[in-house]
Amino acid sequence: MSASSPLLLELIEALRCLPGVGAKSAQRMAFHLLERDREGARRLAGRLVDAVERIGHCRRCRTFSETEMCATCAGSGRDATLLCVVETPVDQLAVEQATGYRGLYFVLLGRLSPLDGLGPAELGLDQLAQRLREGEVRELIIATNPTVEGEATAHYLAQLARAANVRASRIAHGVPIGGELEFVDRGTLAHAFGSRQSV
Amino acid sequence: MQRIDRQPAWVLHERPYRETSVLLEVLTRDHGRVGLVARGVRSAKPRFARGTVKPLQALELSWLGRGELGNLAGADPVGVPVPLAGDGLLCALYLNELLARLLARNDPHPDVFARYASVLYELAAAGDALGQAWALRRFERDLLAGLGYALPLDEDEQGQVLEPAAQYAIDPERGALRWSGRGPAPLLVSGAALRALADDAAPAPEVLRELKRALRALLRHHLGGRDLAAWSMRPPASGSIND
Repeated sequence: MSASSPLLLELIEALRCLPGVGAKSAQRMAFHLLERDREGARRLAGRLVDAVERIGHCRRCRTFSETEMCATCAGSGRDATLLCVVETPVDQLAVEQATGYRGLYFVLLGRLSPLDGLGPAELGLDQLAQRLREGEVRELIIATNPTVEGEATAHYLAQLARAANVRASRIAHGVPIGGELEFVDRGTLAHAFGSRQSV
Repeated sequence: MQRIDRQPAWVLHERPYRETSVLLEVLTRDHGRVGLVARGVRSAKPRFARGTVKPLQALELSWLGRGELGNLAGADPVGVPVPLAGDGLLCALYLNELLARLLARNDPHPDVFARYASVLYELAAAGDALGQAWALRRFERDLLAGLGYALPLDEDEQGQVLEPAAQYAIDPERGALRWSGRGPAPLLVSGAALRALADDAAPAPEVLRELKRALRALLRHHLGGRDLAAWSMRPPASGSIND
């Protein structure tokens, strides 16, 4: 490749930090921006710098926020007696888009995972325990993922809620809607069968 | 390139890798701890069912070996996942961290492998925190023995039979040193506690705590003086792994 422009090589290398972008895609992106869309490239560069500089975490729920407190936590329209715990901001978005939930969130930014060095302190659980003790929350909705680590985290959260005398609930897991039993993996089916409900 | 077929295995840890893949830390029967890449498991059409390749599920794995990381080529579940819940799950995370940190890669210990499977089921069957703690201590004993660091469980360093009422300091290199009561007190464990572990007889709760402290000190030594992250994961309303 053109040794005539070290900057170009650096740009291609930098673009590879994006998920799903390998050497070939990075090269296409770099050439596209330089040949056809320098204005778009300028805008992208500006927004990237702004976002990285200005987006931090909400003091109350730890999700991404430009302000000290995010719009969800600061707004008056939400039910502050419900608190939903999720692993990541993306999970929060998924719940928000799918459910019509009107309560507040707490984002762990991870899950208990000793081998990744993530313990209660890293997940902000002291802060969560403090919030539960404040007494406003009536129900803690635990929406961590149904993985081994997510379940261990859910158990830990349930213990926190119990210690603070707050009701804890766990989102259900089972056969996907429109799915067929034949193709559901054993663990999921065993779980769905075990937690069947009367109809 | 080496192909390994249908090797009994347990996943100790999984972590996302690239866009659709997962890095697995796996305990196998004949190849010890192995690192594997499971390509495409997080894609829309995974090659292996996403729910299959996960911890606490007995597996038969096939992979292509090359250098540090193997390439997962096949995964079949054996039976259903171990029915662990609550504190049992936290215990299992502890065991997985312990094995991932203590076992060297590609160093097979078939006896440790077999013992890992049995302790998971013991944890699932344990009725309470004491039962779980006892299952963990017995596993730690067998793990250390399996790695050649067996605890001195019947004789002290002088070859004398351990006395239940006497106090001993465990030295990782020399064995059980009978405590004379002079000088600054090291971490001590009673002869009764060591004999309970030797006889596989569930001891009283305070003896169990003694054993936990002694075993943890010994494990810390073999971990190069470092603590495990799981040791600081203590749920507020229970205390099975940390009491």
